[in-house]
Amino acid sequence: MAGLNNLLNVARDALTAQSYGLNVTGQNIANASTPGYVRRVALLETQNLGTQSGGGVRAAGLDRVTNDYIERRENQATGTASAATARDQTLASVEALFNDGAGTGLGSALNDVFASFSALASNPNDTTTRANVLAAAGAFVDRANQTGNALSQMQIDLMQQAQDTISQVNQRAQEIAKLDMQIAQATMQGDDASDLKDQRTQKILNMSGLINTHTFTDGSGNTVVQVAGTTIVDGQHARSLSLDRNADGSLKLLVDQPGGGGSEITQFLTGGKLAGIKDARDKDLFDVSQKLNTLVFDVASAINTQHALGTGSDGGTGRNLFDVGATATNAARDVRVSVDVFDHPDRIAAASNAFSLPGGSDNAVALSKIFDTQIAFGNTKTAASAYGDIIGSIGSTRASSQRDVETQNAILSQVQSMHQSQSGVSLDEEMVNLTKFQNAYQAASKMIGVADQLMQTLLNTVGR
Amino acid sequence: MRVTEQMRYDGVANNLSQLSSRQAKAAQEAQSGVRVNLPSDDPIAAAQLARLAASQSQVAARRSTISAVRGDAELAESSLQQASDLMAGAKDLAMQAGNGSLGAGERATLARQVKDIRDQLIGIANTKGTSGYLFAGSATETLPFSTSGAFNGNDDAHVVDIGNSTPSAVNASGAKAFTTAGGRDVFGDLDALYNALNSNDTTAIAASLDGIDRSRSQITNAQTAVGITLNKLDASDSVQSAIDLQNSKSISDVGAADPAKAYSTLVQLNNALQQSVTVGKSILDLAAFKQF
Repeated sequence: MAGLNNLLNVARDALTAQSYGLNVTGQNIANASTPGYVRRVALLETQNLGTQSGGGVRAAGLDRVTNDYIERRENQATGTASAATARDQTLASVEALFNDGAGTGLGSALNDVFASFSALASNPNDTTTRANVLAAAGAFVDRANQTGNALSQMQIDLMQQAQDTISQVNQRAQEIAKLDMQIAQATMQGDDASDLKDQRTQKILNMSGLINTHTFTDGSGNTVVQVAGTTIVDGQHARSLSLDRNADGSLKLLVDQPGGGGSEITQFLTGGKLAGIKDARDKDLFDVSQKLNTLVFDVASAINTQHALGTGSDGGTGRNLFDVGATATNAARDVRVSVDVFDHPDRIAAASNAFSLPGGSDNAVALSKIFDTQIAFGNTKTAASAYGDIIGSIGSTRASSQRDVETQNAILSQVQSMHQSQSGVSLDEEMVNLTKFQNAYQAASKMIGVADQLMQTLLNTVGR
Repeated sequence: MRVTEQMRYDGVANNLSQLSSRQAKAAQEAQSGVRVNLPSDDPIAAAQLARLAASQSQVAARRSTISAVRGDAELAESSLQQASDLMAGAKDLAMQAGNGSLGAGERATLARQVKDIRDQLIGIANTKGTSGYLFAGSATETLPFSTSGAFNGNDDAHVVDIGNSTPSAVNASGAKAFTTAGGRDVFGDLDALYNALNSNDTTAIAASLDGIDRSRSQITNAQTAVGITLNKLDASDSVQSAIDLQNSKSISDVGAADPAKAYSTLVQLNNALQQSVTVGKSILDLAAFKQF
């Protein structure tokens, strides 16, 4: 039978257990806004006293309220949303470049070239109209060069960003492996590893933003982290990723092999900032550059062909207006006003032959008529129409990428909300817990008072 | 569902940020009056606007071509009118000279007047416009008619693009107006009259009348041709101006914001934003610990 001393022991255990509960509540409140913090629940259980019932309470430890399934979904949603955001940032810069109001104004420069031919036809022997043709051609070349250079620069910047992202992934992998080791040690020593686990979850989430990340627990209880379908952290060992370039300049993702060298895993890259960068760089930018180069090449070639047929006021013929390569590759970046005519307005071929000098305007008219001719994109579009196509395709790519960002962010907040609902701290709940533990603590104190009074009563009675 | 603090904050923050970004866009649209500020605002409209801008540029180029060549064409027309008047004067002199009562001295006086007319006519045929000699064909820098009346120009057309399917010739042909390329050598005909007067040869004077007549109608024909060119320029200009108007209208239809709609959207979003702030504040105020 339980005695009064037992009552005191029960009260003492109750004080310890309730103050543990108060501590845990305090910890939850303190970390209410700590990123990655998973709420703890104090586990209280009845304490058996041998075969006797009527035992006290004991704090059995903490429960970290997590849900692997939701965490994995959050990792995945984070990856997809980061990819969409990273891609959209690049597309925003591309769009700004082709915004005729504020961008490089390639479209109007192109129109001005044809307008200058028209003006040349109206007064072929005027030095000013000839100089204007050169000025308009120069402005077009400048705009094309600027746009082409800006696109190349973006590709270089994205490569750099990809490199930075890879180093971050590698660093996270090292950190996660180290945390795994610390968690194993703590668990072995019987310590609570909740804080370390919070950190690891947070690092993995962080890594999901960089590259598509998947985690699972293997047979021996180790957390295995896979990125782009490849195991990068297994227990306490981390591997590293590296980047390379394919022959066509596109990004190549490699995982380092233990014996040296690397094996390619590019095709498994589906999420995270890195996937967004790769998409933007190797697909979107590549497409835009190719279209721009083709347009510039087609326009320059068509004008060259016609210009070479005509005769300058100095009687010379067969000259090009633009220097452009044999193919469209890098045409936008490399096109120049031809050295044949540069600084020589008299060499602009307005006349169709030497006999009609200096007032012949046939060739100038033919040059201005190129505006209405389908010379671009395999002779299927006029220059203006092709430029409109480029603008339209940039616009619709960006618009769909913006929608993508919105959708993915909405999904992400949904999953984050689920995660928060499960693992986040609710101050309301903690206030109730606080009161609960406080009351229980006060009641336990009271219990000591009561036991003491009973003891006094007993002692007084017996001692009389 | 268990609602945590972070969910409340995130919810309020997300709503506010979405609303503010929509409000900022609506404000830009209402302020600038432009609906398509970036290609992604409306890709199809942006592509259309780029093409319309190109068409506008072409129209502007054609209209400036028309106004540039118009001056010279008008000058050519009035010059040919003067030339035709001078030829009429020459005919009058020839008629006078046919009068049997005139003597050799009087015919010599008439001959000097004919020479004056010839000199004036050469001056007219050598008129210079903004793009060089008007009647020299493409040899715009070469004096087309020497004092002897020899033609140094050519019959090349000055073509420009004024919106027609084929390039249009806009210069007056000096060759066809004044030389045998048009049928008669005008200066030769005047020389014949002058020589006949000087030699007091009434038969030759009578014979030269026909040449003078033909020369005059040749000049008048050239003048008519320039008149047709001027009409063509006018017609093209009004076509181009109609296209210009249509393009401007399309640009505004496609790219401009509807002011009433833009403003009401802005007001609506302003209100929504304000309400969202108020609601957010009361959500965040809902913390149990404040009640304890």
